[in-house]
Amino acid sequence: MADFFQNYGFLIVTMAQQSLLAMSLYFPLMAGQLSLASPGFYALGGYIAAIIGTDDRFAPLRDALGNWVFPLEWLAAGLASALLALLVGIPALRLRGIYLALATIAFVEIFRVLCLNLTITGGAIGIFGVPQLFESRWGYICIFGPLLAVILLFTRRLERSRVGLAFKAIREDELASDAMGINTTRYKVLAFVIGGVLAGVVGGMSAPFLNTWNARQGTFDASIGYLAYVLIGGSRSLWGPLLGGMLLTALPEMLRPLKDFRLIINGMVLVIASIYLPRGIVGALGSLKQLCLGTKGDRS
Amino acid sequence: MKVFLEAEGLSRNFGGLMAVNDVSFSVAEGEIFGLIGPNGAGKTTLFNLMTGLTPVSRGSLRFRGHELTGLPPHRIAKKGVGRTFQNIRLFKGLSALDNLRVAQHIRTRSGLFSGVFATASAKLEEERGTAKAREILQLVGLADRAHEAAGNFSYGDQRRLELGRALAMEPALLLLDEPAAGMNVHEKHALTGFIREIRDKFNLTIMIIEHHVPLVMGLCDRIAVLNFGELLAIGPPAEVQQNPEVIDAYLGGE
Amino acid sequence: MDAVQFLQNLLNGISIGSVYAIFALGYTLVFSILGIINFAHGAVFTLGAYLTYSMAVGQFGISGLLADTRLPFHLSFPLALLLGAVCSGFAGVLVERCAFRPLRSRGADPLLALVSSLGIALVAVNAIQYLVGSEIYSFPTDVYGELPPAVTFEIGSKTVVVRTVQVIIFSVSMALLGGLAWLINFTRTGKALRGVAENTATASLLGINVDRFILYTFFLSGFLGGMAGSLVGTSFGIAGPYFGVTYGLKGLAVMVLGGLGSIPGALVGGMMIGLAEAFVPTEYSAYKEAVAFAFLFLALMVRPQGLLGKTTIQKV
Repeated sequence: MADFFQNYGFLIVTMAQQSLLAMSLYFPLMAGQLSLASPGFYALGGYIAAIIGTDDRFAPLRDALGNWVFPLEWLAAGLASALLALLVGIPALRLRGIYLALATIAFVEIFRVLCLNLTITGGAIGIFGVPQLFESRWGYICIFGPLLAVILLFTRRLERSRVGLAFKAIREDELASDAMGINTTRYKVLAFVIGGVLAGVVGGMSAPFLNTWNARQGTFDASIGYLAYVLIGGSRSLWGPLLGGMLLTALPEMLRPLKDFRLIINGMVLVIASIYLPRGIVGALGSLKQLCLGTKGDRS
Repeated sequence: MKVFLEAEGLSRNFGGLMAVNDVSFSVAEGEIFGLIGPNGAGKTTLFNLMTGLTPVSRGSLRFRGHELTGLPPHRIAKKGVGRTFQNIRLFKGLSALDNLRVAQHIRTRSGLFSGVFATASAKLEEERGTAKAREILQLVGLADRAHEAAGNFSYGDQRRLELGRALAMEPALLLLDEPAAGMNVHEKHALTGFIREIRDKFNLTIMIIEHHVPLVMGLCDRIAVLNFGELLAIGPPAEVQQNPEVIDAYLGGE
Repeated sequence: MDAVQFLQNLLNGISIGSVYAIFALGYTLVFSILGIINFAHGAVFTLGAYLTYSMAVGQFGISGLLADTRLPFHLSFPLALLLGAVCSGFAGVLVERCAFRPLRSRGADPLLALVSSLGIALVAVNAIQYLVGSEIYSFPTDVYGELPPAVTFEIGSKTVVVRTVQVIIFSVSMALLGGLAWLINFTRTGKALRGVAENTATASLLGINVDRFILYTFFLSGFLGGMAGSLVGTSFGIAGPYFGVTYGLKGLAVMVLGGLGSIPGALVGGMMIGLAEAFVPTEYSAYKEAVAFAFLFLALMVRPQGLLGKTTIQKV
């Protein structure tokens, strides 16, 4: 067992982490908004944790709090992300569809170039030697795993609540939702902020895990990668981003024996999956289930 | 009696075109008020102005003592104005029941956290909302299909569901945009009765856009006729029917 | 900034701006017909650069599967450029066949096209990496044959340098823009293309073979992308198989800045971003990469439909 975690611990944590990032895209998508901003908030959260963890000015705080400084880092990451999400979301969410997607890509790129050049973020080199919370991978599984469970539960409850219903109404027809008395701007911003906070907290937890943080953590490729998780998993169910994130993260690892070809195969999988699983894995499983139940029903 | 709804010089131009030009009228509480006119006369635009979906160029609109012009659609809805759409805008991917629950949005308050953590008040609210939604589904005759997606309903059933959705907002003023479109004579007759029934049951004031003249004549207390964005005539059906300008607008061109 | 510096920046900006414009036009063409963004356009850009390099130089670098391979021929630069772009055009056609048509024929969510085109881009870029490794390819200075690498002229006591490649970039880009404008406005094919862009369903009712015109569009798009990649590669070198990613994003910014689906818009957008980048003071040059996106973000806030895009009124 110890061997298993030694070999696969990193992968398991990464799978949970990527699923969480896919979930961060799922929230705005629930309200019909295609936002690719998550890598920006993820990067922000990581920088905040890395700075609190390494900067001399925070040394007294670290000494005073001991390991309790980590939850504080995550809280700070979440709060800062919420603030930035409000700042970006309020102007950007007036845009629709692909325009919003492009504005969020622009945000991610601007933020990346900023981090690449500021001294506080360590410039192009980034921040090294971020203190680890745990010595073993198992420890990180024990924080990413429960976070994933909590987020799934949160999402499930949200979807059945008044706010979740308003999100879905906006996704279906924004104008009609407005006429039904839903403050569409407010709810769109709320969905965007929830996604941003989640990505920020995940970033805050990932910096200690990865031990280092730099501008390559939040790039445009990642944006599209997360979108691929959601769409290939299935964008209409919370299980979609979970499955998509897990499988697509594990895939390159499973393809490792193929060496140089593995990224080529990975690309092919994206193409084939978009063609043959248009409603994602979850959607395909749903149709399959219906098919089986349907034929059984006919027999009886 | 206090004026329930009063429009004064309501106007809207798109580029050079006056879609609605200097329209004034008032509606009394409990009235069923018809809006007729040829295609492109500006009837739907007037509804859009009244619900805030299209900004008003000039004029004012007072509803129960509040100025509505300049307010965003959701604020107007909250003040008690519900509507249906000419080309049905249901939440097609949501179930019939959820369509009605969405409409309860303005009658409920629970936020992100109270909803997710299902506090006692949020739970109570949700139960009430669902009960209300079921009651209205029963009323529009779709109770047995509560969990079907609205997009799967036939055209006529979608119209009924949309009317139900507007009722679930518990409005004081209900705007119906061609509710009888696509219905046969029997259904139209039944709809007339139904509209009266809901007016009495929910103490509604109703404005209705309708092409089918007999339906309007039989149903409405008063009628306004629009032509090229301008108000041509206003008054009780019998009177409007005799108005030479109205006859001209309807028959002159043909 | 003195007049000479200003002139130098202006020349640099116009030259790079014109190549941004033709690159962005590749996105624009596809967007105006299918209403989707082709994320593989950056990969086609990269492919074009490598193709032109290999044909002009006749030899590969020292890493990857093709390490130290010599081609039995090498072509003059103009021919290599043209052939590289034509091959890229066919690559564009391949992208359409693999990533777009299967989705279209199944009536899939247009968002999926983002993922499938990204998938194709991943395949292409990693295949290139497998073949040529990730070393930097720089075009030799004598690639233009007899032409000198740069011309200088004096204004007062200062010197202004115009690199030959800048002149080539500008003239080729302008010629392509002119050719494209002619094609679209004055030929039967162009009319049919506009018809398809206006309304696919109506066009097919009128007997236009829509699928064939979509293929044409992807060929043109790939041609422009490959040409842009070759030109940028000649000017700044090919910084490895991923070098198209940055330009790919910048091209998107240019297209949106000008207005999704507008040809004059792409030129205006390209020039704006090219000039803005050229005029970034040297002490802030590290922020140059963000200029395009800052412009994009601001432009979207002010005019969500782009600078030269049309406003559409949503019908209730």
